[in-house]
This record gives sequence, structure tokens and C-alpha cells, in this order.
Amino acid sequence: MAVQPAPRSLVPSVSRPEAVVDTTTPDGFGPGRVMRKAVFVVTLVAVTALFVYPLIWLLSASLKPPAEVFSSDFIGSEVRWDNYTRLFQMAPILTWGWNSLVVTLLGATAVTFSSAMVAFAFSYFRFRYRDGLFLLVLATMMLPGAVLMIPQFLIWDGLGLNNTLYPLWAGNLFGSAFYIFMLRQFLLTLPRELFEAARVDGAGYFRLWWNIALPLTRSALIVVFLFELKVLWTDLVRPLIFLRDVQLFTLPRGLKAIIDNPAIGGQQQWELLAAGSVLVTLPMVVLFFIFQRYFTEGIATTGSTGR
Amino acid sequence: MRARSTASGLALALIAAACGGGGAGGVGDNTPQGEEITAAPSDAQASLFVFGATYETGDEIAKTRVDRFQELYPSVDVEFSESGFEEQPFLSALASGDPPDVVNIPRNQLGTFIARGVLDPLDSCLEAEGIDMGVFYESAVEQVTVEGVAYAVPEFFNSRLWMINTKAFEDAGLNPDEFDFSDWDAIADANEKLTKGGNRPTRLGIDPKLPEFLPLWAVANGTPVISDDGMESQLDDPAVAEALEFANSLHEPAGGRTSFLDFRDTWDFFGAKNQFAQDQLAAMPMEQWYLTVLAEASPDVDLTVRPFETRDGEPITWADGNSWAIPAESQDKAAACAFIRAMTEKDAWLAAAEARAQTAKKENQPNTGVYTGNREADEEIFANLDLGEWPWLEEAVQVVRDVQEHAWSLPPSPASAQFENAYKAAGDEVMNQGTDAEQVLTQADERVQREIDRAAR
Amino acid sequence: MSANTGLTNQQREFRWAMVFMSPWIVGFLVFMAGPMLWSLWLSFTDYDPLRANTAFVGLDNYRELLVDPEVRTSLWNTVFFTVFYVPGTIASGLALALLLQRVGRAVGFFRTAFYLPNITPAVAVGALFLLLLNGRDGLVNQALRAIGLPGPSWLNDPAWIKPGVILMMLWSVGSTVIIYLAALQNVPRDLYEAAEVDGAGAWHKFRYITLPMISGAIFFTLIINTIASLQLFTEVYAMFFGGQESGAAGQAALFYVIYLFRNAFEFFAMGYASALAWVLFVVIGIITVIQVKTSKRWVYYEGD
Repeated sequence: MAVQPAPRSLVPSVSRPEAVVDTTTPDGFGPGRVMRKAVFVVTLVAVTALFVYPLIWLLSASLKPPAEVFSSDFIGSEVRWDNYTRLFQMAPILTWGWNSLVVTLLGATAVTFSSAMVAFAFSYFRFRYRDGLFLLVLATMMLPGAVLMIPQFLIWDGLGLNNTLYPLWAGNLFGSAFYIFMLRQFLLTLPRELFEAARVDGAGYFRLWWNIALPLTRSALIVVFLFELKVLWTDLVRPLIFLRDVQLFTLPRGLKAIIDNPAIGGQQQWELLAAGSVLVTLPMVVLFFIFQRYFTEGIATTGSTGR
Repeated sequence: MRARSTASGLALALIAAACGGGGAGGVGDNTPQGEEITAAPSDAQASLFVFGATYETGDEIAKTRVDRFQELYPSVDVEFSESGFEEQPFLSALASGDPPDVVNIPRNQLGTFIARGVLDPLDSCLEAEGIDMGVFYESAVEQVTVEGVAYAVPEFFNSRLWMINTKAFEDAGLNPDEFDFSDWDAIADANEKLTKGGNRPTRLGIDPKLPEFLPLWAVANGTPVISDDGMESQLDDPAVAEALEFANSLHEPAGGRTSFLDFRDTWDFFGAKNQFAQDQLAAMPMEQWYLTVLAEASPDVDLTVRPFETRDGEPITWADGNSWAIPAESQDKAAACAFIRAMTEKDAWLAAAEARAQTAKKENQPNTGVYTGNREADEEIFANLDLGEWPWLEEAVQVVRDVQEHAWSLPPSPASAQFENAYKAAGDEVMNQGTDAEQVLTQADERVQREIDRAAR
Repeated sequence: MSANTGLTNQQREFRWAMVFMSPWIVGFLVFMAGPMLWSLWLSFTDYDPLRANTAFVGLDNYRELLVDPEVRTSLWNTVFFTVFYVPGTIASGLALALLLQRVGRAVGFFRTAFYLPNITPAVAVGALFLLLLNGRDGLVNQALRAIGLPGPSWLNDPAWIKPGVILMMLWSVGSTVIIYLAALQNVPRDLYEAAEVDGAGAWHKFRYITLPMISGAIFFTLIINTIASLQLFTEVYAMFFGGQESGAAGQAALFYVIYLFRNAFEFFAMGYASALAWVLFVVIGIITVIQVKTSKRWVYYEGD
């Protein structure tokens, strides 16, 4: 499922500086306070481990000999990079990675620009039915993806594009309600005089959008782009529905094939399954660490769970 | 859950293989549906898309035969899906009007597709290419034949037998060569003795391989799960319920089904530290392709292989494997038929077996042969097998060969997929909920019988 | 200046607005409105792309759905999951946000750490939990044993499969934490100061200031998590369905959308699957409306 709507009251501007708040109230000194502090720190560390350690464990499992995957030792009796070599030999990982990359980049670019266009229409122009149309945009966010699955399969099939990569990203050329909503909120914060001044200088509407609206919403556009990157990279549903040829698989679809096929991992070959999972996850982790500011601000300010 | 190795013969090919290659459906000279197939001229330009099989990533058994086909028909351009048969992508390809020209299907699943009319009858193909169904194992031929018409040609032949951890048996004072597998009380006793660790097992005694091996336990108990014509479910027969209850009871010494499976899930099934090498299992019924896995992963394991037995003491096996079929919408049926012949004829198998022998020799691993559906090919392959260095494998192979003549197979039911789901789901329900086997199986029988009747119409 | 001198400003603006709107309008018609109607129509047929003939079967699919035992199973599973997961994720999200709020400057680091599971692809989450939840030696049960608890069989015991799935999904609570954290940071500090002057304790402040002030965020996560729960698919499908045989999970983890997907794309019973889809659509619509209506009683909006 893609992103979800946020009630208006939760959407302040994206660039709002992060407040550093520490509400710990000074409640005396002495052993009680030290005790409390210790409990707090221990809890925090324990909770953090819950979220981080499984991923580190996955990495460790992917480098163990198969019979030791479940053992509690963090490092197995030997470090087996060979698990990865075998995985690359057994499955066309590079092809899958390339497919994922193509789908992800094309789709994220498409949705960013198309949504920005529509959002501009909703924020700049004043026309009849505008508010009604905007309500319709909001309403479509409620549509469960499951209802659209079957007819969309039939439509792409009718276009002769099943078993190609197009159905995985080309739908993004038509914008996405959530991003339209988000970008419109953002555009509304820009002073209208900026646009009017350019109009007076003879700029066309397209240039208003391209030269003023887009550069000024840059950080919001990056948030949209990154969110969609994540959505597309992690998607399994569409590849399951639309792809048949192993050579066309994306990484998540490939990982699913690895889980399913006892001969190429999965099942009893847990070390290969772990290695495959690491390969699918790693690019997202890297991306996230580079752009984490955008991710967390994006979620906090749009209220999207991003899932 | 998971990890019940499916019984397909392709698994053998897949152990070494995986994914890669592939491409779009081939378009050759259009053969309209139902038209008589005449022998394909070896110089005709054609392209063939093969679904459910591997070449690029396949093992030498696949490669050798395909290469041989290409030599015979150099002008035919063959592409492979490079994946094992999966129902969903196959149906999706048919639904999209982009069907493969030839398909490799597990024989257990054929019935559903035949009933749905998506596969072509092969009579004119057999005639045109001179394929003699008589050279294949009878039980395999029965699996591909509906009302006297063949819809597929058998490829591999997979049989199931007891694989026994010799040392575990001997340590428990049991003789693996003489143990009476027809005596279910003896099996239960042995299981108790062989299980180690109780509720947190460190060695399982006997893995009944449920629910997927229920048909084997049922046929050993005197009643197959389905009638020979595939039209009557016999899941409601008390003998089937008895078989299920007995086989399920084998989980108990290990603390029940869940702790049994939890332990089994941690095994290195395909690796050097597999459950036999690690003494984590005493015995299980298993497909013979697993011998090949063991031969490669841990050739020095001390394993005894025995036939599965009916309670009357007769050897019995449940056999299956893959087969080659031609979709009704195939674009080039003549080339598809020639391809099928070239994949299943004796000379192709002999070439493949030779290639396998060479590979084994090069890697200094035992060569356990190729278990084909072609009886004539098998006779020559196994006459030439040399396993001198590995006496346990030599004996094992002989047991496999002998038991092939005592094979029972699932007949092609028009609702074969639903039938398989039905007995597995019933088995799971009995094992997981502890519900009465007879009651659950009777309900499953009623439901699946309706499906069979509906599909047969 | 404009070439279209015949047009009024208003008309020209409208035209340009439509140009900018066009991607969404086309997308809406072709990929949403059209498909919705198509799927409604399909739900009254026995459409199967493999068969040549499609018959109009009226309400047959909907009638079948009322008696189909797997629909009952999948609905029960889905409701079970939702009832535990949604409050679970709200409560744990809130607890973690309150914890993080006290961290001070290092909050960024922890926020990042908490969010890592959310960027892990769902199929990898499924694969990871196949390992973590192993009933014998999985990390979860190793941990439980370390504190003296017996580890259940999360993957093979039908009674524990759903709790295992809930646990897996709760691992991704990070995004909810971030939403709450942002909301908490927006609570004006002077409210707390005023309360302290009145001698209010920690619980009192939480109950009468914090909770009302972030009720909007809670309401928002309630809605989106409910909708997402009812459509639970990828992680569970990756673990238990598809190419592999499902065993105990075949029933215990058969969630509604999984059953829908199997009907549509494994059995190709697309007519029936469309009926399942429409029922889901209506149910989600009803639940959302109920939540929005009742929210007026407990959600505090600024400016109210």
C-alpha cells in the first residue's frame, strides 16, 4: 500500500525547524535521580536494540555456514562470503537489481513531476469545480489497492504490456493523490506575489511552474521522490501480478522466488535467504542514511506511515 | 509449513540450477488448433518458447538433451523460462494470450489442465514423431492419459522409499536391513527408541513427511486416496483416516507436531551438515532424488535405503515426476512435438547420463544415475553405473530400481490441484487441531468430490 | 499579449488549469474510476480469463461469499489481527514516542534507529521473521528462553501464527513513533508549566494535556493503521504463500486480501475475486466513516 492522507491540521510546512525538546523535569538530586536515569538509559538501549539488532543479526546469518544460521554465536565458525557468491551464481541478482533500479527511478521521477503539475493546478489556478475536484482527489486516497488490482491487470493486459516492466511504474505518470495533496499544501504557503510578478514580466504558466514553483518546493519534491523510491523498491504486489519471466523480476520478486524455491535458497537454505534479504534491504538502508533528514521530516510532517 | 520438498522430478534439475535466461513467447509458423501435426522438417525456421524448464541455469541433464535437439534441428530457436513449473505464471501467460509452445508440468498437476482444455491431446504428435508410449513406465503413462488419450510424455520418474540413518538404528539395537517396515506397531516402537531429546528433540525418530506423503501411507494401508480413474475421492475411507492417524502419531515422542517441525526447519537439508550427517534424524520416506543430493553433499554418510512396504509386506512406492505437454494455443506444435521427442527418447537420456557421469567423475563425486520415465533408457543407464567406491549408494540404487516396478501414482483427476489441496489441508487440520481424522477426511471428501464432479463436466 | 485574444482571462486560466490537471484526470478515469466500475461489473459475472465464455451470474458471487468457509476464516483472521495490531501499534508507538521525547539532543539518532524496520522491504521482513520466529532456535525464542519463558511455535502452531504476525508487524512501529514525536513537540510547553503550578502530577499532565493535544495524530494513525491492517498482504504472503506449501499457516494466516489475491491470480476466479474486493471496499468505507464520526467526540483540533 502506498502512502496515506493526513488530516489538514497535521500538516505544517515541511521546512519547519526541528524543535529540540527535553521535558525531563528536574525532580531533585541524589540516588533516586541517578537510579531513574539508569533505568531510562537501559530501557532506551534495550528498545533500540529491538529495532536494530534483527537487521544486524540478518547480516550475520547471511555470512554463516548453513548449519549454524540459527546458532546464537554472532559470528559463525567461519565467515562465508561464499554464500553471496553462490547466490549470484544461482539467481540473476544483477538483472533483478537493474530492473528494480529502472522501475524505481522512472516511477519516482514520473510521480514527482506529474504530482507537482497537478498540485500546481490546484494551488495556483482558480477555476470552477476546483474544490470539488480536489475533494475527489482526497477521496481516491481511500480506495483500497486491492479493489483496483484485477481491473488494472486486465487493462495492462489489454495494452499488451503484461510481463513487461511498464505496469510497475508507468501508472505514476498520472500523479498520486497523496503527493498532490502534500505538494498543494506546500505550494499554498508560497506568497502569490511571486507568481504575479513573473506574470507581469510576461512569463507563461509553464514557466511559472518550472521556474518558480518547482525550485521553491525543492525539499518537498525530494521528500516525494524519496518516498516513492521506497514504495517502488519494496513493492511486491505489482511484480507478483504482472511479471512472469524470471529475467524481468525486481529484487523483491526475486527474493520471493528464493523463498519459494527450495533449490535456490529459502526453505532449508536459510543462509541464502538471509543473503538475499540483505541484498534487497541494503540499498534502502544506504539511501535512508544519506537522506534521513528528508525521510523523518517527511513522515513527521505529512503523517504518512510510508507503508 | 514451508520446506516440504515437492515431489517433482524437476527438483533434481533444480538443485544445481536456478534462474536466468528466458524471454518472450516464441512466434513460429502458426499451427492452428487441432490441426494434424506432421513431423517437423529439420530445416524449418521456427522458434520455441519452453515453459517450466531451465537451460542456461540447468544442469548437464537438461543441457545435454537440449544441445542434442539443437543439433538435430539447428534452425529452431529455443528459449526457456529458466524456472520450474509454477501454476500462476503459466495460467497468467495463457490468460494473456501469450502461451508457451511447450510446457514441462509435474504429472500430479496435469489433470486440472487437461480438464480445463488448455493442453492439446498428443495422438497426432505421437504418431508424427513416432513416440512409443510403451517404452515409458506404466504408472507414468497412466498419469498422462485420460480416456485413452495421452496429453503429455513422461520425463523423470521419482519414487519414494525409506532412507535410514544406519548408525542411529544400530545404536538402538535395530537392524536397518531387516527391520519390518510393514509392521506399524514396530515402526511406532522404533520411533520411540530413536527419538532423542523428547519435547525439545535433538534427533527425530521417524519423519512421516505429512501431510504431503499421506497418499503413500494410505496406499500402504490398502486404500489409495483416490480411485484409479481419478473420479472418486476415497479420502472418506476409514483406511485413509487410520493411515493419517498412525503417521501423525509418529510426531508424539518429539513433543508433538510443532516442536517436530520447529526442529526440522533448522536442518541444513541440502548441505554437508544435513540431518543424516548430523544425526538429527533416524529415518524418513523420501523421493529418490534426495540420494543425489546426499551423494554430492555428504557422500560418506552411512545410509540404508529400503523400499516402503504395505502392511502385507509388499514393497510399494508412490511415483511421480514431470512431463512434457503442448498448450492448445501453442504457436508451433510440430516443433514442440519434435522437442518433446528429443527430450524423452532413449538416445537423449543416454547422452544425458553420460554427461552426468563425466561431471561426477570430474568432481570426484558418486554418479547415482538419471531416473528417467523411459524404461528402456533406464535399463541401459543403470547397467553401466559404477558405484564401487560407495557401496551404500550401490545398494540404494538397486533398491530404487526394484521398487520402480511396484509403483502407484496419482491418476489424472480433473480436479487434481484441488484434490492435492484437500488432502493436505485435511492432514494439517488433523495434525494441528487434533480433530478426528475420519470426520475431517469425510468432510474434505465431500467438498473435493463436488469439485471433481464440477470439473469433469 | 496572449495569442488567444478571443478568450477571456478566465477561460484561458481554465484551459491551462486543465492542462496541468490532465495527468490526474486521465489517471483517474483510466486507472481508478474505470477500473472500479469494471470490477463492479466483473463481480456479477463468472469471469475467468482462461475461459472463452463469461456469463452474467447476478448475485451468485456474493451469495457464494456468504457460505464460503475460507471467507469466514480469512475475515476472522483479519479482524483478529486488526483488533490486536491497531491498539498495539498505537500504544507502543505512544510509549516509545514519550520515551524518545526525553532523550534530548540525541533524538535524531534514535528516531533513525526506530525507523530502520520501515525501510526494510516487506518481503525481506517476511524472510527475516521466518528466521527470527523459528519455534526452536529463532532469535525471539532464544530471548524468551533466556528470561525463562517457553517459546511458542510461531510458525507451525496455528494458535501462534497470528500472534507471530502481529509481532512482526509491530516491529515497524517506527513511523507511528515519528508521527507522535512530531505531535508531542508541538504541544505548547506553557500548558505543562501552568499545570505544574497547579501541582499536577505526571499522569495528570499526560492524561489532561498530552493526550488531548496529540489526539489528532492518534486519530490519524488509527485510521491509516486500520485501513492498512484490513489489507495486510505482502509480509504474510511472502512468508507462507505463493510457490510454497502453506501447511498450518494456510488457514491460520489466510488474511482477507491474501484470499482475494489467490482467487484472482492463482485460481483466476476473477469474477468471484471482484466480489471479494467490493465487499472489502464497502467495509473499509463503513469503518472509516464510523471512525471519522466518532472522532468528533474525542479528537481535539486546534482552533476548536
